[in-house]
Amino acid sequence: MGKRIFILLAIFMVLGSGINMFAVGAKEEPVDYPEEMDAWLQEAMLGPYEGEQDWDEIERLANEEGELVIYSSSSRVEKVAAVFEEKYPGIKVMSHDLGSVGTVEKTISEQDANLFNSDLITTGGSGLVIHELLNNYRLVNFVPSMFVDQIPEEYREPLLNRIVEGYVLMYNREFYGDTPPISNIWQLTEEKWRGKVVLKDPMASLTNKMGLWTMVQHAKEFEKAYKELTGKKIELHEGVPDAGYEFVYRLLHNDLIILSSGSKVAKASGAKGQTNPPIAITGYTYIRYNASKGYVNALVTPLTPFENIITPVYTAIARQAAHPNAAKLFTAFLLGDISITMDTKFAEPYNEGESARLLQGLGPYYEPGSKSPRDTVPVAKGGEKWFDLDSWVVDPDFMWDEGLKVQDFWVQEVGN
Amino acid sequence: MVSEMEKSGTKLITLKLSLTKLRYRTYYIMAMVFLVVFAFLVIAPLIQIIITSFTFGRNDLRMVRGARVGAFTFYHYSRVFIGRLAHALFYKPFINSLIVGAGVTTLSMIIGSLLAWVLIRTDIPYKKFLNSVIVIPYMMPSWVMALAWLLIFKNTRTGGSSGMFTAVFGIVPPDWVSYGLFPVIVCLGFHYYAYSFLLVSGALATIDSELEEAGSLSGLNRISVLKKITFPLVLPALGSSFVLTFSRSMGTFGTPALLGLPVRFFTIPTQIYASINARNKGDAFVLALVLVVLAAGAIYINSRIIGKRKSFVTMGGKGFRSRLNKLGKMKIPVLILVAIFLLIIIVLPVVLLTWNTFMRLPDDYSLSNLTTHFWIGDSDYELASGQEGIFKNEGIWGGVINSLKLGVLAAVLNAFMGLLIGYAIVRSRGTRMSKALEAVSFAPYVFPSIAMGAIYLSMFAHPFGPIPALYGTFYLILLIVIVKNMPFSSRTGISAILQIDKSLEEVAQTEGIRWFTRFRKIIFPLSRSGFFSGMILTFITSMRELSLIILLVTPSTRLLTSIIFAYNDQDMVQHANGVTLVLMIIIVSANFIVRRFFRAGSVLGIKES
Repeated sequence: MGKRIFILLAIFMVLGSGINMFAVGAKEEPVDYPEEMDAWLQEAMLGPYEGEQDWDEIERLANEEGELVIYSSSSRVEKVAAVFEEKYPGIKVMSHDLGSVGTVEKTISEQDANLFNSDLITTGGSGLVIHELLNNYRLVNFVPSMFVDQIPEEYREPLLNRIVEGYVLMYNREFYGDTPPISNIWQLTEEKWRGKVVLKDPMASLTNKMGLWTMVQHAKEFEKAYKELTGKKIELHEGVPDAGYEFVYRLLHNDLIILSSGSKVAKASGAKGQTNPPIAITGYTYIRYNASKGYVNALVTPLTPFENIITPVYTAIARQAAHPNAAKLFTAFLLGDISITMDTKFAEPYNEGESARLLQGLGPYYEPGSKSPRDTVPVAKGGEKWFDLDSWVVDPDFMWDEGLKVQDFWVQEVGN
Repeated sequence: MVSEMEKSGTKLITLKLSLTKLRYRTYYIMAMVFLVVFAFLVIAPLIQIIITSFTFGRNDLRMVRGARVGAFTFYHYSRVFIGRLAHALFYKPFINSLIVGAGVTTLSMIIGSLLAWVLIRTDIPYKKFLNSVIVIPYMMPSWVMALAWLLIFKNTRTGGSSGMFTAVFGIVPPDWVSYGLFPVIVCLGFHYYAYSFLLVSGALATIDSELEEAGSLSGLNRISVLKKITFPLVLPALGSSFVLTFSRSMGTFGTPALLGLPVRFFTIPTQIYASINARNKGDAFVLALVLVVLAAGAIYINSRIIGKRKSFVTMGGKGFRSRLNKLGKMKIPVLILVAIFLLIIIVLPVVLLTWNTFMRLPDDYSLSNLTTHFWIGDSDYELASGQEGIFKNEGIWGGVINSLKLGVLAAVLNAFMGLLIGYAIVRSRGTRMSKALEAVSFAPYVFPSIAMGAIYLSMFAHPFGPIPALYGTFYLILLIVIVKNMPFSSRTGISAILQIDKSLEEVAQTEGIRWFTRFRKIIFPLSRSGFFSGMILTFITSMRELSLIILLVTPSTRLLTSIIFAYNDQDMVQHANGVTLVLMIIIVSANFIVRRFFRAGSVLGIKES
C-alpha cells in the first residue's frame, strides 16, 4: 500500500513539476556566471570577455552563422528584420513577436529546460527584464563600441535601451484651445473630470504599467503638487499608504475609463468634432495619429509634478545564443547608422530612400514621442517638445520591488 | 534437439494463441492507448493546475519573503478567497459571472424553446428555410454579436462619436445600454439560444402528439397542455440546455472582454486572463478551478435531478404520429415575429458589419464616406496604420490558411478519433476501462477554455515527456483544439457505434476478417452520417474558437479569430468586421457543402451532458 502511494506521489510530482523542476530561485546579487555560460561568453566574446570589438570580424562571423532568432514584444521588429536582410542577405532573420510577458516567459521556460533557441531579445518591461532575466544570467548586455560615447550611461547600463518612449497626458486641442485645461495632475481627480480621463489598461500593457507605477513611486512629488493646487496637505483614504497611491485611488474613484488599446485612448481624447472630450494618459508616440488619422491631440504642458515619464525598450543577447555575432550585428543595426548627427534631416516617409538607409533598424520606430538613446539622433517631426519636458525615468528596481504591491492595489481598487 | 524444437513449437503456438486473443480484443488495446494518451493530455494538465494553485510561483517570491518556488502554500487561495483583494479579484466577478450565466441561460432557453415549439409543433410555413437559418448564430463566434452591438449602441464613453443608434435617433444610449452586464447577457443570449433550440426541437420531434390530444380531450386548454404534458416531456432536453448554456456562458471570454472593460465589468474568465498576463498563474488557476467545479457541479445536478426522469420520455408507445398545432389566424403574425427576430439577430449584424467595412471613417454614415479601401486597398498610412485591404493582406490570408488548416485537420482527426474512442468504449462496455475512458474523454468539457490555454502554454513551452516544445507552433493549437473538442467527438462516436449491432461485426470476425478491414467495410460506412456531422461540428467550433487559443497564438500561427480580436483592440474596426465576415462566409459555406455533398446529418451533434 505504502509503495503504491509513493509511486502515485512520484507520478504526481513528475507530472506536476513540469516547469518548476529545474527552476532557479530569483537571485538578487550577480555572482559568477554558470560554467557553460562562461565558456559561451568566452567563445562569443561577450560580457567579461568582450575586449576590443572588431566589426569586420563580427560581420564575417555573423555571415558564417547565417541565422538570427529574435524574441520581441513588438510586431515592427519584422520590418526591421526585412531591411536587415536586405543589407545582410547572408543572414536569415526569424523574429517572433510574443508580447512583453510572452517574451519573458518563453525565455525563462526554454532556458530552464536547457533550450537556448533565441539569440536576441528586445522588449520593454523594466523590472522583469532587469531582475528576472539579466540578473539571472538569462541575458547579456552588449553595447556596440562605436556608440558608447553617444549613449548616456543610464541608457546602456545595466542594459542597452534601443529606444526610449514617453508617457504623457494629452488633451483635445480643437476643443480646449492652445492652453491645456489642466496644469496640475491632481485636477484630474476633481468632479469636473469625472468619467473624463482615459487610459489603456495597465494590466494589459507593460508600458502603461511602468508609467502609472512610476507615478506611485514619486509620492513625495505628488504630495507637493497637491499642496500647490489646493494649499492644503493631502488627506489619505483609509488603508492608502501615500500620496502616490492616493492619486491612483482618486483617479479610479473618479470614474476613470479604462480601454483595451492605445489607439482607442488616442481616439477618445483626440478625435475631431467632440463636445466633451476626455484627457488621455498615454504613450507619447500616439501623437503620430494627429498626422495619420487627423486627431487633434496635444501634450498637457506645463504640468505639475511631471510632464513625461521615460520608459525603456531594451535589447540584449540571449544566454548561450547560437548566433551571437548576428545578434551583435543586429544590435548595431537597431541603433541606426553611425553617421547620423543632430543636424541630419530625415524626410518622410522614413521607411524609404536616404532616410531609411541612415535610420536602419531605427526606421520603423522613428516617430514622434520616442527617442533614440543616442544623443546624436534628432527626434522625429512632431516630437520636438521631448527635450523641453520635465521627465521622470522608470526605475527597474521600484518596478521589481514594489510593482506587485501597486498591482494588487490597482486590482483591488479597479474592482471596487 | 527434438524436445527443443517441440519447445519452440509450443512457444510459437502460445504466441499465436495470445495474438489471436489480442486481435479479438483490439478494442481493449485501443481503449488502453487512448486512456494513456488522455491521461497525458487531460489529467496531467488538471493536476498541474491544482499543483500550481497550491505552490509558490516565481513571481510570488517578490511578495512573500523567504518563499521558495514550488513550495506548498495556501497563499493563492487566501488571496483569492479571503484577502484584501478577494472582493475585487473573486467575489464581484464571480457574482457577475453567475448573473451572466443565469441571465443568458434564461434568455436563450426562452428564445430557443419558443422557436423550437413553433418550428416543430406548429404549421408555420417555410419551415425548412427557417430551420437552417435559426442555427446560423451557432456557427459564428459568440462575440460577433458584441461587435455588432458596439456598432449600434456605442456611446461617447469610449471616445470618438457614438454608434448608429445615435446617428438615427439622436439619442446617446446610457452606459448600461452600451457596456457591461446588460449587453453581455443580450449578446450571449442571442448566440446560445441555438443550443436550447437544437436540443428542445430534438425532444419535441419525438413526442407523440396523441399525448397532447388526450390532454385537450380531457378538457385542458392549450396553455395547460403545454404546461402539464409538453413541458415535462421536454424537461430532460431543457436540463441539458441548461447545463450547456450555463457552463459555456460562465466560461466565455470574448464578449465580456469586448463589452465589459469600459465600465469595469469583470467576470471570472476576464480575471483569469488578466491574472495570467500579470504572471499571477497561481491566482489564475484558483479562479479556473472555480469554473471547473461549477461546470462539473452543473453536470452532476443535471444527471441527478433530470437524468433520472429520462425514461419517462419514451412512454409514447408505438403508434407514433405527430400532429401539428394549427396556428390559424396567428400564422402570419407568428411568421412575422420569427422573421423579425431573425432579421434582428442575423441579417442586421451582417448588414451592419458589411456596411462598416465600406466606411472610410467608422462613424460617418454619408454616401461620400464609402470606400473599398478596407477590402482591396493598398497600404496607406492615412488609414488603419497602413494595413493593406483584406484581400491584399498577407497576414489575413495567412490567418485564413491557418484557420482552414486547423478546422479541417481537427475535424478529420477528431471525427476519426471520436469514432475509434466510441468503438473502444462501446465494445468494452461493462469494464472499468470503458468507464474510465468515457469519463476521461469527457473531462475537457469542464475545463474553462482560457485556463486550458494557459496550462498548455506553460506545459508545452518546453519539452514535456516525449513531446517536444510546441509553444509557437501550429501543432500546439491543433492539439488543444482536438482535446477540447473530444467530449463532443467521443459522444458522437459512441452514439454512432451504439447504432451498429455487434452481430454484424461478429459475423465478419468469424470469417476471419481482420479488424482494419472490418472497420473500413462495416463500421465506418454505417456510421458515416454521424461521422460527417461530427466533422462539421468540430470544424465550426474550431474555426470560431478564441478563448482557447488566445494565449497560444504567435504571429506565424495567427488564426482568423485572433486577428479579429487584435484588429478590434487596435481600433481598426473595419478590418475587424471585414475579417469577421470572411470567417462567417467560410463557416457557413463549409457547413452547406458538407451537408449537401456528404449527406451528413444536421449540426445536431450536441446531445450530450
